[in-house]
Amino acid sequence: MNAIEIKNLSKNFGPKQAVCGLNMTVPMGAIYGFIGENGSGKSTTEKMICGLIPTGGGSIKLYGKDYTDESVRAKMGVLIEAPGCFPGLTVFDNMMLQAENLSIPDAEQEVIKVLKQVRMEGAAGNKYKNCSLGMKQRVGIAMALLGNPTLLVLDEPLNGLDADGMRIMREVFADIVADGKRSILVSSHLLGELQKVATHYGIIRHGKMMVEMTADELDASCRTYVALQSAEMNRTKMLLGCKYSRVEEDEAGYIRVYDLTTPEEIVTYLYENGICVTELYTDKIGLEEYYIDLMKGGK
Amino acid sequence: MENTMRFAKVSFAGRIKSMLKVDFRRMFKSKLFYILIACALVIPILMTVMMSMMDGSVSVNPQTGEETIMQGPENTWQNIGTLPGEPLGGDEIFMMCNINMAFMGVAVFVCLFISDDFRSGYAKNLFTVRAKRGEYVVSKTVAGFLCGALMLIAYLIGSVLGGAIAGLSFELHGLNAGHIVMCMLAKICLMLVFVSIFTLISVAAKQRAWLGICGSLGGGMLLFMMVSMITPLGSTVINVALCAAGGALFAFGLGAISKVVLKKTSMV
Repeated sequence: MNAIEIKNLSKNFGPKQAVCGLNMTVPMGAIYGFIGENGSGKSTTEKMICGLIPTGGGSIKLYGKDYTDESVRAKMGVLIEAPGCFPGLTVFDNMMLQAENLSIPDAEQEVIKVLKQVRMEGAAGNKYKNCSLGMKQRVGIAMALLGNPTLLVLDEPLNGLDADGMRIMREVFADIVADGKRSILVSSHLLGELQKVATHYGIIRHGKMMVEMTADELDASCRTYVALQSAEMNRTKMLLGCKYSRVEEDEAGYIRVYDLTTPEEIVTYLYENGICVTELYTDKIGLEEYYIDLMKGGK
Repeated sequence: MENTMRFAKVSFAGRIKSMLKVDFRRMFKSKLFYILIACALVIPILMTVMMSMMDGSVSVNPQTGEETIMQGPENTWQNIGTLPGEPLGGDEIFMMCNINMAFMGVAVFVCLFISDDFRSGYAKNLFTVRAKRGEYVVSKTVAGFLCGALMLIAYLIGSVLGGAIAGLSFELHGLNAGHIVMCMLAKICLMLVFVSIFTLISVAAKQRAWLGICGSLGGGMLLFMMVSMITPLGSTVINVALCAAGGALFAFGLGAISKVVLKKTSMV
């Protein structure tokens, strides 16, 4: 059984097709990184999963049940766009409202527990409107964690978080999926951060799923490259460009030669042409580059 | 590892109880609620006392030279309903400004209460974990109804206090305390009609509070004049039954429409 199973989902906003025949599978126990450009249909899909906007067609199943099923929905945690808090109430009061909505027994203890989890226990008495952006985001995440949810749907949860906040999030995510049954659907533009936690990926474009893969599959399909620096960078680049199909200079000032795992060949070739390599390493492209490649239409 | 998940079902009673608990908690923590109750208490006192002080004063129209003698209230209960033998709507002074203003006050409360849910994003949290739109409508209607009922009671207390301070008559002109109780009960039951209308308009307006308030005040005004006719001071159990039936009818009918509106539209 999958945590989320979407078949042929569609949604139109007037003449604009936001989601178009989307198929998506989030396995149980997965941290599913949902990636796409702005306006690609990520948030719309998430809102439909959460029942916040009516679907335009297709089916959504959560743990094998229809997405409108009360019992499944009661075990969902959600953070979409901004946390839903009343500005005039304190963080604690806002949390208590959601705890009561979820009929959590011993709500106060549960609220304190999740606030501690996101290191916000010290700000529980602050009015929500006086919280900083990062604090608000933490409150939103804490709210989503209330009641030990089986399925978390998080839209850009990492926005506004500091380094410590991101580390906490990674720990929280790992804790949640540790039992192999609970799942997280998380969309984020911070692909580097997402790559540290995600076990599965789905890349959406123009409302359609382009590719779904596991982290291992991504790793296997990511291109390897040799990065190097030399005393004569321009000549090196020109020489390598004549011999290899894809040679690029990266932001750090290294020349990258793709789809090559043996650096000896390059070193020999450059040495024969009178160029001395000063620094060299081999690596694989990350999720971010894979995604950019995919968006460009590359492999 | 077992590849299934079991989810506990929450009963309707459990769900509605938790939703009402949240709404009551919010209502009793809201400044607006206390402001409205305070207004309902203070307005009749100020109005009764000030109008009594102005009783007998003469105003002259500068253009025609015509003199008008201001007539203050004679009876405390004019604040509440029409005395027997008087034209519907009561004394001229209390024609519009009487206990029935609470029906308009509650419009502001319901609209802001509901629009706050959508503006703050609380509706997203709620509707993700509570899929039933009908329960939301029931909860908001009950909260609005309670606020309205408390406003009516506050206005009654304010009227009695105002009458006592101004030294007005408490003469019931052939009526008795039972009639006043029935009149109040009828108004409270009728409050359900108004709250159902305001709830429908507010869920349609969502975060646009201004639209909800304008629509509710406009819609409320259409029925406003009817209130004094249906709930005179000499109300009997028949008036109460009629108002209760109307309230139930509107609450079910408009509640069902509100539910459809919520189901068919976006919550964000």
